[in-house]
Amino acid sequence: MTGDHSTGAPQYQVAAVRRALAEDERTAEQGIKVTVRGDTILLSGDVECARRRDEIAEVVHEVVPAMRIYNDIKVTEAGEPTGREEFR
Amino acid sequence: MIRIAAIGDVHLSKDTGGRFRPALRTLDEHADALLLAGDLTRHGTVEEAKVVAAEFGSLSVPVVAVLGNHDYHSNRSAEVTEVLADAGISVLEGQSAIVPVDGRKVGIAGVKGFGGGFAGKCASAFGEPEIKAFVEHTEVAAAKLRGALEAMDCDVRIALTHYSPVSDTLRGEPPEIYPFLGCYQLGEAIDSCDTALAIHGHAHYGTEQGFTPGGVRVRNVAHPIIRAAYAIYCIE
Repeated sequence: MTGDHSTGAPQYQVAAVRRALAEDERTAEQGIKVTVRGDTILLSGDVECARRRDEIAEVVHEVVPAMRIYNDIKVTEAGEPTGREEFR
Repeated sequence: MIRIAAIGDVHLSKDTGGRFRPALRTLDEHADALLLAGDLTRHGTVEEAKVVAAEFGSLSVPVVAVLGNHDYHSNRSAEVTEVLADAGISVLEGQSAIVPVDGRKVGIAGVKGFGGGFAGKCASAFGEPEIKAFVEHTEVAAAKLRGALEAMDCDVRIALTHYSPVSDTLRGEPPEIYPFLGCYQLGEAIDSCDTALAIHGHAHYGTEQGFTPGGVRVRNVAHPIIRAAYAIYCIE
């Protein structure tokens, strides 16, 4: 999984980034969507804190250093639920 | 009315400890039990398990959990289970827990489960030893769930897994990865035992609601799906 994947088919770039996010101990994330458009890589999904969002961008940058990163990952809310479901 | 709170895929580590605790302080006003549907930690370390214990231990209602694939990552699942158990959290892997609610016995049978895929598009125990071992893990998990569901002496049965028992609640995930998100054998076990509700996690891009082929309600409570500290399901 090492090496610069900034060039090559977008399918292989997505594969390299997704595997790095899951297998790198700094991230261990399997739930991030990775989309490649030209020289831009779009990251989306949900994580548990802003620091993890930044760590993901760091790892992605190491895998595809020449690509522009749009980091649209959100931090999931953890408040009380606003409703409940009743089974009848 | 039996009120079940549930949440999965909280992926706690020391950088996120305390996130859920404020919302859990009033849990007993809303629910009679809390189910944790696996992936409680990020890397499955003992240190992370201690964060989970602090987050979900000593609550005002019984807490029942299964582990997820992340909780196995560091090969410390036994110690993770022990840390959670010491905090009063029942961790199920082929076992069950009975929670009394208003004179009724609510039985929760739990197992991590595994992938394998769904009817007609699933792995078979054929060929190399690696694929046979994969399918065997699936079948052992489903057999453990069935055994735990059957053995419970209770009024209401709930199945708790990390992997999904149905494909319904995976809608939104790429179909190519369904075999890594769940298996039909868990659904078959749930359908064999007059189950009232099945709770799972693991599928961050799936959907909350589904049914087994036998008509049992299934709910995906992965945190990115329910977007709150827990979801509440009420059974009459």
